[in-house]
Amino acid sequence: MNPELTLSTLPLALPGVLPFLLFAGALATWWARPFRVARGVTLATAVLAVGAGVLGASTGLEPTQRVMLALVGLIGFVITRYAEPYLEGDPRRPPFVRALLTTLGAVTVLVITPNLGVLWVAWMGSSLALHQLLTHRPDRPQALVAAHKKFLVSRLADVTIVTAACLLYVELGTLDIEALGTWARGATHVPLAVHLAMVSLVLGVALKSAQLPFHGWLTQVMEAPTPVSALLHAGVVNIGGFVLIRLAPVLERTPLAMALLVGIGLTTALVGAAVMSTQQSIKVKLAWSTCAQMGLMLVQCGLGAWSLALLHLVAHSAYKAHAFLIAGSTVDQWRIAAQAPTRERPSIGVALVALLGTGSLAWALGAPALSVLWVVAVAGHLSLGTGRGWWSSALVVAQAGALVGMTLVWHAVFSFGSTPEHATAGSISAALVAAGFVGLYLLQLGLARWPSSDLARGLRPHLYAGLYLDEGFTRLTFRIWPPSLPPRPAPIAPSTPIVQEA
Amino acid sequence: MNLESQIQAATHVIAPTWPLDRSIAVNPLWERVDRPMATAAAEVASRGGFELLMPRSWYRSEWDAGRLRREHLVQAVQGSPVSLATVLAALNRPRPTVERRARVTDVADEYRDLVRQEAWADYVPHHISQFCADAFANDTGTPLFQAWKRSAQTDRGPSLRMGATAFRDLVAGLPDDAETSIAAALAMLEIPEREVVAYLESLLLDVNGWASWCAYRRWTARLEQREDHTLTELLAIRLAWERILIEGGEPKLASRFRHAMASWPQVDRQASEANEVDWLLQSAVEIAWREGVLTQLAQAPQASSEPAVQAVFCIDVRSEVFRRAFEAQGPQLHTLGFAGFFGLPAVYVPAGSATARPQLPGLLAPRFKITDTGVTEAGAARRSQALDATLSWKHLKSDPTTTFGFVEGAGLLFAARMVLDGLGWTAQAPRGAARPRLTASIDDVPLTTANKCALAEGILRGMSLTTGFARVVLLAGHGSQTQNNPHAAGLDCGACCGQSGEVNARATAALLNEPAVRQGLAERGIEVPQTTHFLAGLHNTTTDEVQLYDLDEVPDTHRPDLEALVTWLRAAGDRARLERAPKLGVQATTDAARLAALQERARGWATVRPEWGLAGNAGLIVARRASIRHLDLAGRAFLHEYKHEQDPNHAVLEGILTAPMLVAHWINLQYYASTVDNLHLGSGDKTLHNVVGGHLGVLEGNGGDLRIGLPLQCLHDGSQWVHAPLRLSVFVEAPTEAVQRIVDAHPVVKSLLDHGWVSLTCIRPDLGTAAAYRGGDEGWADVPLA
Repeated sequence: MNPELTLSTLPLALPGVLPFLLFAGALATWWARPFRVARGVTLATAVLAVGAGVLGASTGLEPTQRVMLALVGLIGFVITRYAEPYLEGDPRRPPFVRALLTTLGAVTVLVITPNLGVLWVAWMGSSLALHQLLTHRPDRPQALVAAHKKFLVSRLADVTIVTAACLLYVELGTLDIEALGTWARGATHVPLAVHLAMVSLVLGVALKSAQLPFHGWLTQVMEAPTPVSALLHAGVVNIGGFVLIRLAPVLERTPLAMALLVGIGLTTALVGAAVMSTQQSIKVKLAWSTCAQMGLMLVQCGLGAWSLALLHLVAHSAYKAHAFLIAGSTVDQWRIAAQAPTRERPSIGVALVALLGTGSLAWALGAPALSVLWVVAVAGHLSLGTGRGWWSSALVVAQAGALVGMTLVWHAVFSFGSTPEHATAGSISAALVAAGFVGLYLLQLGLARWPSSDLARGLRPHLYAGLYLDEGFTRLTFRIWPPSLPPRPAPIAPSTPIVQEA
Repeated sequence: MNLESQIQAATHVIAPTWPLDRSIAVNPLWERVDRPMATAAAEVASRGGFELLMPRSWYRSEWDAGRLRREHLVQAVQGSPVSLATVLAALNRPRPTVERRARVTDVADEYRDLVRQEAWADYVPHHISQFCADAFANDTGTPLFQAWKRSAQTDRGPSLRMGATAFRDLVAGLPDDAETSIAAALAMLEIPEREVVAYLESLLLDVNGWASWCAYRRWTARLEQREDHTLTELLAIRLAWERILIEGGEPKLASRFRHAMASWPQVDRQASEANEVDWLLQSAVEIAWREGVLTQLAQAPQASSEPAVQAVFCIDVRSEVFRRAFEAQGPQLHTLGFAGFFGLPAVYVPAGSATARPQLPGLLAPRFKITDTGVTEAGAARRSQALDATLSWKHLKSDPTTTFGFVEGAGLLFAARMVLDGLGWTAQAPRGAARPRLTASIDDVPLTTANKCALAEGILRGMSLTTGFARVVLLAGHGSQTQNNPHAAGLDCGACCGQSGEVNARATAALLNEPAVRQGLAERGIEVPQTTHFLAGLHNTTTDEVQLYDLDEVPDTHRPDLEALVTWLRAAGDRARLERAPKLGVQATTDAARLAALQERARGWATVRPEWGLAGNAGLIVARRASIRHLDLAGRAFLHEYKHEQDPNHAVLEGILTAPMLVAHWINLQYYASTVDNLHLGSGDKTLHNVVGGHLGVLEGNGGDLRIGLPLQCLHDGSQWVHAPLRLSVFVEAPTEAVQRIVDAHPVVKSLLDHGWVSLTCIRPDLGTAAAYRGGDEGWADVPLA
């Protein structure tokens, strides 16, 4: 055999090694010390996954896949290292490690596979493995209820996704993602079945990305140890976005699916952000934030801003995994906040000037519609943070400036040199999105300026209760397909038998 | 009894819980110490379903391990109607289960299909808990009940989730004021007069976590000479639910509830009779531990020589291990135990901070102020700006309008941050203070020399250190080192508002070094030699390292002393770690490796058990060190220095038995209660903790009641309990008459002793005798000291 040929095929084989490593690790935990295995395997995965990113196209992977693979490798490594001391003394460590490695293995298969059918199987596999992690404390009914709700939503999503796959296969005769893309770029006519397939896929993705009103499973799975939340929020809930990006060429040909993404995503992003700001427990707050951020990711997909969606996906993963893992520091944060001087209420004049100023700057730069994100971020930071002396104001301006700088750098990095972006973004959708975020800005401003107004006081309890969106869903779950729970503690009190009076 | 006093009686029994940032160990049954512990246990069992004893299997395992023996049981049953045979037989049988009084929520659940519907008994506390979290985190000053009524009137949750369609209308029909609402509900539910207090109490115990938070508000209000009635408001909310469930539920519910009510006396009776044998088993385990201490006491004490160093440590049980390790290096090394706030009832205002934080036990109100004197105005401004920057960044990160843009621009930075955090490179040692000194009284009046001298005299007399000063007196506070830990403050100091002892130690050492204070002390009969220097330090209880402070103020003449001290402290650390590290599962075999392993744990952001804290605590010994220097107490005893011959009118002893002893009791009962009933009195699994309201407390998982007490990880290693729940055994080296006089003069102390919350033994190693306090008018019983 020609040695040159062997060497050049090595990178091609590299991605395929990763799931093998992780699954083998999961098996090995039956014999060896689970965390020792997991540490080694996840380190190797992280190194190889980042390596695959560096090797680039020679691995046979698309840039999206390489970015995602590096992300999964890194998150898996950090979470495993975290879980080892965190679960010190926990008798259920071995099954925990097995489920963790299996979940990671399934996600890597999903990332590297060129085939939509395999992807669907891997997706379902990761969900089932994750279920084991979510029920790490089978003695806690709350954990079982939350996991059960997630189970139902995920299976519903599986149905819609497999429907999409079937429709594509029947219509186009292939499930190869590359081939589907090639077809879409060249097709002169998009048949109805493909439209239906994409709508079905979008619904499945919405379910799996915790979009309203089926988000309740995500905001209640604080019932598993913290690293599981980190894994779920950083490595699993965002898979939907990845799949959409993989199928971007097909989606761009199906405007209905795209509009649906914008509708669902925008609603969830705005409502989620408003609800998030009223939450009092740190983990629930973070979960609502994830709903909102996933909403934005879908909006970006719906506008055809694929590389921005990918950027948002990985940036949010890193941010949220860290936020969960560091959630124990909430009290330290509170101590700092308690020592710092209090913030003044914002001035409406400053706020409007900030918004108009930043907005016109962006417009002058020819920034696209989605720049509304950094525009409101900068305006919000300026109006809510300044006004406490020159030092504070300078600081706030510097922070806002740094944010814009970083944003522009990342946009450039993630465009991978080519920008076919925004070409397909429907102007109505884009305008709607911009209006939505400006509206959110004005709402927060109003609530901060007049916290004890009737509107603020009337709205707040409803937002705090998550607009009751999950209440009906929970009740329905119990009605239709109740979770099987451990028996309640023996009935207490009336020691006399219950007499059912006629 | 009128309604007001009934409410007063029901709310009175709830003990406070402190917020996480200034956590204090509390006896969760503190407001019930006026009755026997077994009675209190029966009350909370029948009214709240709480447990106050270990399962029989635990006593059995103590027996199997040989720690609990027949002779201990014989002693325990003395004077009790229960026979030895009954107790022995009980070791082989499970304990009969005790029922709890039914509330309306329980009865309403009987009419629900609990497979296809959620239970009211779970939903109601959760719903109230969610409301409380928001109300207390954003306190607007509106009375709690009124705020609840306003939000519940528009709350569609109960209707959508539980099918309680009439909920909002029924809430709207409630009176606006808590007391009126309570009266109306009691009348509507037809609670008999004699049952009202117990019923109201059982409702509060259903939301015991938030009730304890309300009791904390009452506690702090009272320290400021105010009253706070939030607990009554909470009671009205919980009671309103009972009423609403009846009004909005099945028509039969009312009669069913009356039926359940009729069984309450039987439940009470059962609860008070069920555990008689188990309390004897509990006593026997404590007798066994005391026997071990007394046996060691009888052995000949170690010889000690003139002190080269006197090192003062906190009475904390963790000091015992370190002190033993320190003293083991030579008879010239002396240690003393004293309350870790060094008798300085102060608040500390860090430079650049807008707020003061208390640095003293929760039983006391602060009188002084400590500030950073080592910082220039510009330095303080920089600190303030740094705080501002951190806070500003946090807003950018999490405000709803900025968070989307933030994640997009800065989210990826956290990938690097996560790796660094994981490696422990970003772990922060708590920022030290900058020459913290006592500068003013609490109302900002500068201190006079006379003030300072009186304070200094009280401190030295309190630690029985008035003669025989060594060249160096080390005042070592203590602090823990842990990252990313909501319960960090609880490891710092179980008593002093969860702060490290650094600030108090440094301020006290500086006070005692002031020439004017020295002169004043001499006038008051305490001659501190010119050659004595007070030095401040901090014992890191996680790594057993000692950090020394303000070394630039050490006179040149004392440099050699300082160098020797550093060497001794290092060696003591090695020795203490050798004893402590294996219990944490650290298997390192060399001193250096052990230190490195403990430091790594201390820096780890995922370490759930940086140290064992005060687990194992079982006793308090108030005695001169010379009498007990030879004892190995395995880190299970609080130690307070006391020389009774220096205290002719026993004022110092009175101070010890009324303050440090209560603090030790609070810590002891917190560990006890969190162990015997972690579900109700402990805070559950740390890996599920969810901090609520920034600092109010934790929820376990998704919701439920606020959790009080200690996490499981502080008590249990995953396979067994590391903390053995023993009530505090106090040993005092003093004449029994003196102790009796103090006990008689202080109802709280007498109550704790007479009612079995704490036991007391007077020891006289010099005379070879010991006597146990028997309670009531029964006097003292001689105990063999051999």
